[in-house]
Amino acid sequence: MPRVLPFLIALAAAMAATADDGLARLRAAGVMRWGCDISGGAPFAFPDPADPDRVIGFEVEIAEDLARRLGVRAERFSADWLALIDAMDADRCDLLINGFEITPERERVVAFSTPYFRYAQQLVVRAEDRERFTSLDTLRGSPIAVLNGSASVASLRSAGVAPELIIEYDDSLAPFTETVLGRVDACLQESFIARFFAGQDPRLALVERTFDPGVYAIVTRRGDDALLAEVNAALEAMRTDGTLGRILQRWGLWDDAQSALGTQRGPITPTIPEAIGAPADEGLPWSLILWSLTRAAAMTAVLTLVSMPIATFAGLGLALVILHGPRPISRICHGYVLVTRGTPLLVQIFLLYYSLPALGAWLGIPELLTWNKVVVGIVCLAANYAAYEAEIHRAALQAIPPTQWDAAKALGLTRWQTIRFIVVPQSWRLSLPAIINDLNSLIKDSSLVSMIGVQELLAVALGIGKASFAVPSMLVAAAAFYLALSLLADWCGQRLERRAAAVRALPEPIQR
Amino acid sequence: MSTPALEAIGIRKHWPRAGQVLDGCSVRVQPRTVHALIGASGSGKSTLLRCLALLEAPDEGTILVEGTTAVDGALQRIDDRIRRSVGMVFQEPSLFPHLTARGNVELAPRRVLRVPPDEARSRASAALDRVHALHLTDRHPGDLSGGERQRVAIARALAMQPTVLLCDEPTSALDPMLTREVTSVLRDLALDAGTTMVVATHDMDFVTATADSVDFLHAGRIRVSGPADLLGRPGTDPELDRFLRRP
Repeated sequence: MPRVLPFLIALAAAMAATADDGLARLRAAGVMRWGCDISGGAPFAFPDPADPDRVIGFEVEIAEDLARRLGVRAERFSADWLALIDAMDADRCDLLINGFEITPERERVVAFSTPYFRYAQQLVVRAEDRERFTSLDTLRGSPIAVLNGSASVASLRSAGVAPELIIEYDDSLAPFTETVLGRVDACLQESFIARFFAGQDPRLALVERTFDPGVYAIVTRRGDDALLAEVNAALEAMRTDGTLGRILQRWGLWDDAQSALGTQRGPITPTIPEAIGAPADEGLPWSLILWSLTRAAAMTAVLTLVSMPIATFAGLGLALVILHGPRPISRICHGYVLVTRGTPLLVQIFLLYYSLPALGAWLGIPELLTWNKVVVGIVCLAANYAAYEAEIHRAALQAIPPTQWDAAKALGLTRWQTIRFIVVPQSWRLSLPAIINDLNSLIKDSSLVSMIGVQELLAVALGIGKASFAVPSMLVAAAAFYLALSLLADWCGQRLERRAAAVRALPEPIQR
Repeated sequence: MSTPALEAIGIRKHWPRAGQVLDGCSVRVQPRTVHALIGASGSGKSTLLRCLALLEAPDEGTILVEGTTAVDGALQRIDDRIRRSVGMVFQEPSLFPHLTARGNVELAPRRVLRVPPDEARSRASAALDRVHALHLTDRHPGDLSGGERQRVAIARALAMQPTVLLCDEPTSALDPMLTREVTSVLRDLALDAGTTMVVATHDMDFVTATADSVDFLHAGRIRVSGPADLLGRPGTDPELDRFLRRP
């Protein structure tokens, strides 16, 4: 996916030039839509382990305070972190608050506010290696795990670490797990994340000396100058009246480095238990978690149950047009099948969700082309699977012997009547097992729409898992739900097949 | 002389692979008669029947159904309304396997002739009765024997009440026992005074018993044409004698 991003960013950025004043629209709507990735883990914005439906984190508190100061309501928008900038350019949200470091590459496509947090890079190693690895220099030649796209990557590169030794993960918890498991010798993270994830883990040790300080800032669209000025004014007030200092203290993020940004510490505030980050395996609130997973599984079921029938019938239509339609339309449909099957579903989801609204804005019809994320998810899954189903139907339609067409023609049935009454009722029975098979694979492919923030089974399980330090147990729980859905699909499929098979096909030799 | 039920004039047809299959064939079928097409395998009988059934457009020639032009060489489009007045029974029954015997028989009357469901049902029953297959009404083709299937296929064609019924070697895919069962049904139909039939067949007993007129095809041309008793006279045509294994 990172390979498509430069293209998407360029496309969206080119189209975003048409965006009008964000502040006026935000005020008119009375809502500040702020973007973040809730599966990014603590302490930014993440599902509360004690109640997975609630999203908490220091950035949630900053966002709410910011909205209050702007005189509007805060509304959270979630999507995959790597897609957040595209989401903002596609006007899915007004600004981003999610650990965005100020980098020259990003400054070319977005605008940054003044910083709200200062961090440094900190190495984490296995406890038994604490004497051996005391700095980046002592790790020469060892693989180091980092979060994909984070400032740690740039940090290692500028320190001269060979690219093949920088192992990037899409998940903020994975670098720590990989260190514990010994697949890498160390991981590099922002210091407070290192403290949060590794501080309480006896298997890991923090390397004391931090380096390469950086800052987080709120991201707005380029050209949203009025909004950016208001955000900066509000942040300045938060820094000086102690609000920001208090939030950082609550989340155990306060250190003296914050003063360098002009942030006042404010009244001494105790750290809340959610910010400690202790592994809490013994105390997982299973009933709440199961309830969350059940609802997420229902979302997965809805995605599948709505998109598969559409895909099945659209696929049949495509196959019929490809085989029997007028040549130009048949060519177009064939091209659609080739392109759709030949490109990743993920790219299609991204294009439809982020680039379609940008295209709409460019064409002057943004409302028409800006679809809800569940709708985009269903349309993408249905459109993608329709191409696969078309091939299944095509094979089945072609398997109907030509003598059936002759017999129908001799009786005076038109082409369409022959298709409707003779060919499709038979080909349907042939294609059914393959369609059921695809239904099964769609149940699992539906997790890809979590990239645009749809809270389906896998995304919810991962979010809860990271927040409660129980990713493996949550993945097993999610797998159990997937298995249940898949078995249910198989059971329904078998019933359908049995009904269809009640009529035995005629084993007729083709002579001539 | 009355208007022929079916008439073909100068039919030429070539297949890309097989070359010239019909080389100027003319056929004339009088109403309420049985017309036999005989000839060795590969002589063009099936292709001629497919042209007569309006399933294939000939390269050249004209086909008239009850005096109305259905096809002529220049006009490749075949009128569906005329096609449905010509019934066809194939070598293989080609029943629709997902429908019952009744479903097979009543489909075309309902969908093509738009006959109301009740009438289509009684038409189907009557047609099945004519081929002694009324007891098979609710069975699917997969549960029928080869002979039973072929009888249902004949009923399916009859239910459309065609002007002419064409039969393309309807027993060639059957063993002798089943052949007898289908032949006896066809013989009953042929002897029924109202039926106009064209039968392509190898079965000379059937021809002598039922046919009023006969065409002998050899290498895409009609070599002998005339009343059925022509076959009884040796020396009419050397190819015919060879075909009938006469010295």
